[in-house]
This record gives sequence, structure tokens and C-alpha cells, in this order.
Amino acid sequence: MIEFKDVYKTFDVPVLAGVSLTVETGETLSIVGPSGTGKSVLLKTSIGLIVPDSGDVLIDGESVYSAGGQKLYEIRRKVGYVFQYAALFDSMTVFENVSMGLREGEADRLGKDEVVARVSRALDEVNLDPAIVLNKLPAELSGGMKKRVGLARAIVGEPQILLYDEPVTGLDPVNTATVDHLITEIAERRGVTSLVVTHDIEGALAISDRVALLDHGKLRFIGTPDEFRTSDEPLVKAFANRQAAAAAALKIMEEP
Amino acid sequence: MTGAVRAFLAAFGRSAEGTFRFVGGMSILAAHSVRALVTGRVALRDILDQGVEMGVGSLPLVLVTAVLSGIVTSQQGGYQFTSSIPLYVLGSVVTSSIILELGPVMTAFVIIGRVGARITAEIGTMQVSEQIDALLSLGRDPVSALAAPRLVAGTITMPLLVGIANTVGMFAGLVSARLTVGLGDEAFLYGARLFWHNWDLFYSLMKATVFGFIIPLVSTHMGFLTRGGAEGVGRSTTTSVVIMIISVLVLDALFPPLFLN
Repeated sequence: MIEFKDVYKTFDVPVLAGVSLTVETGETLSIVGPSGTGKSVLLKTSIGLIVPDSGDVLIDGESVYSAGGQKLYEIRRKVGYVFQYAALFDSMTVFENVSMGLREGEADRLGKDEVVARVSRALDEVNLDPAIVLNKLPAELSGGMKKRVGLARAIVGEPQILLYDEPVTGLDPVNTATVDHLITEIAERRGVTSLVVTHDIEGALAISDRVALLDHGKLRFIGTPDEFRTSDEPLVKAFANRQAAAAAALKIMEEP
Repeated sequence: MTGAVRAFLAAFGRSAEGTFRFVGGMSILAAHSVRALVTGRVALRDILDQGVEMGVGSLPLVLVTAVLSGIVTSQQGGYQFTSSIPLYVLGSVVTSSIILELGPVMTAFVIIGRVGARITAEIGTMQVSEQIDALLSLGRDPVSALAAPRLVAGTITMPLLVGIANTVGMFAGLVSARLTVGLGDEAFLYGARLFWHNWDLFYSLMKATVFGFIIPLVSTHMGFLTRGGAEGVGRSTTTSVVIMIISVLVLDALFPPLFLN
């Protein structure tokens, strides 16, 4: 379970203005919202990659910001993080990248054969053929393959929570559908808690148990996909309905 | 007038604050690196990889720089020593110049350009492409993985490189003195021995050790501070090189009053 408690963060302008949100164990929750409204910042506060000005984040009841050293390490090991642009280590092969997802020192304890087996299983799970990609460098992979290697790295350590930062950004429709399908499949098969930050509303409504809408640093809506589709909230309607969004955009442009 | 003074003081204050913040950040990074090293969280393989890259990779350029430093010092000394000064003094001038100053400083400049700039660009690129965040999310410590191996490798490698540069530079000076000003090898060595202090060699390697620590410290710190995409990496690398050069020159200026009395 992930609990955001009254999280505030300001850079030059306020980005998060008192966000409180609970993601239940085993649930898939997507956060949608306009670009630049703090979705990725909120995700990064969940494991201390960005430190909030005030508020707290609890992972399975343990405060990320009261923990230090070994405790923070243990909290982070419960979480797999899939980055927007995969964030693969440029100088490492796919095998080395994915094996970095194992606990520190675990690779030495397991031995080379077992590590190869685990990395191969993780790659299989994200529909990549280990025989083809294992020794490739990230620069030799397509965007969709990089995302899936990033996903394999996140799941190889068998985390209980998966965080996805814009998992389908920059992907074509086929790869988008593949990644959305993988998020659902991994959540069901492993029973993990998933928090997805995305601007792809259709994908979010398809894969999520609940959807939250973040705008100007505040949560404007939290509910099921059906509630989202039928909401009367103008901003939610604009997101749920592309025609309404176009009309809202025209109105904004026509305003003096 | 008051406005101009206030603006000057404000700018001075900002600059001082920035400097203290930077030095403070570097001190924290150095302390974390030492702690990572002491607690055994730095992989020996990473230190060896960095050592080979810094040492073996830099050797050709260090050798060229050392040879040219020796030749130039020898020739310019020979040009200046006329009639009243015995020519064998050139042996002392060349060896002292190389050991006390040119060996450590020229090698440091080579390492700044070849290694320091690369470290900042490499870690800066990792920073802006979220690879540092990825390390943290995987429960890894970027200081143990990236900074500490480079600091240890630099501190060990630099004295070795300077030792080689000193030897090669002095030999090049000896050969150059023979070929250009006609000073025999024995006379050169007589001059070198006449004003020789064993302490000078220790002083030279001490300088090298300090430079070998400060160059990777500044460059890794600047890498971690990088923000703002490709442009940010370029800006950060340039700033890093400037700070490394100034740091080496300032430390170099502090050495004689502290250790040559």
C-alpha cells in the first residue's frame, strides 16, 4: 500500500499543493492530468527521488522520509520503478541492466547461471526474446524494447509495488497496447500494487481499478473508470471526451 | 551610488554563498565516499576499471607532455645561462622544475582534460537521463557506485603517472641538454645532484596525490549537480574544467609556503 499524506512541493512555482492519496494493496491506480501538473514529481516523492517540502509518503505503513540508510534501502527494494525513457544504463548490456534489478550482492550469491535464468524469465515476461536481446546495448534497441527492458529490470527483483512514469509516452499504438497489456498482466499474475502516471487517458481507463486526476498540484477527482467516464466535473469531462477537450481548448484560445 | 554598492554587495554575497555551497557539497561527497570505502561498499572491480582508464589510458598523453616539458625547460635554461653561470646548473634547474612543478601540474592538466571532463559529462548525462534516479530506485548508492571508485582510482593513479612523468621529463631534459647546448650527461647529473633534496620527490608525489583526489571530486560533484538536458551537460562540463584548473592552480600555490620552508 502507498499512502501520500498532504504532500507539498514547490520548485519555482507550487507543483504539489497538498496531495493525499492511498493506493490499496493489489490495486492499479492511474494518475492522469495535463502536462506539467506534477504527476511525475508525485511519483518520485514516493521513494524519495524528490523530497517534498512537507507531508509524508508511507510504503506499507513505513514512512519514506523518517527512514534513512538501510531502512530506506529496504523500502526501495519493495518498489520497482519504470522510468519515462527507461533510464537504462548506457554502458551496460541488457543482461547487466536487468540483473541490476536484483538485490545488491545477490548476483554474486546466486551464481551466473541462476542470474541468467532469472533475467531471462523477466525478459520473457515482457515479451522479449533473451537469446536476441541479452547481449545488446540499450543504443541497439527500439523505444518499445527499451521500455520493456526497463520493465524487466523493475520486476526481476520481485517487488510488491510497481511505479510507472509515463509508460507509453513516445510509443506507437501497437507498442502502447503491448505495454498496457503487460501492466495488467503483471499486476494480475504477481498481485502487485501498481501506480501509473500517464497522459494516455484511454489506456489509463482500460488498465486501472481507479483513476485520479491531478491538476495544478491538487487531486480533482478519484474514482473508478466508469465514474470517471460519467463524471460531471468539467475538467474530467474534458479528459474523458476528446470532443469536449477540443471544445475546451478552443474556448481557452478564443478567450482574450 | 548606494544602489551600485548594494548591487555589488548582493552579487558578492550570492557568489560567496554559491562558493560555500559548492565546497560544502564537495566535502559531503568526499565524506560519503570515504564512508562507502571504509564500510566495504565500493567494488574493487570498479576501482580497477577506473584506475586502468585513468592511468593506462592517459599514459601516452602524459608521456608526450613530460617529454616536451623536459625539452623546453632544458632549452630555455640553456639559452638563459650565459658565461657567468656554469652550465651544469642546468641539470638542477631541469630536475627541480620538473619534479617540483611541471611534472605534477602538467600531468594534472592532462588528467583534467582527458579524465575530469569525461567524468562530469558521463555522470551529468546519467543525471539528466534519470540513470542516477534509476540507481537510487534499485536501492543502489550512486556515491558507492560512481564517485568513490573514481576518487580512489584518481588518488592512487595520479602519483604513479607523476612519477613516470618526472622520470621521463628529466631524461628528455638530459638528452635535450646534450643535443642542443652541448652539456654532457655527467655534468647534467652533477648539477642535478648538487641541489638535490629527497624531500622534493616526496613533495612532488604529495602534490600528485592531492591533485588526484581533487580532480575526480570536482568532476563527480559537478556531474551530480548537472540539470537541463544536453545543454546542461555541456555547461556543467565547461564549468567543471574551469573549477578543476583553478583548484589545481590554487592548491599548487599553497604548496610552497606550506611544505618548502
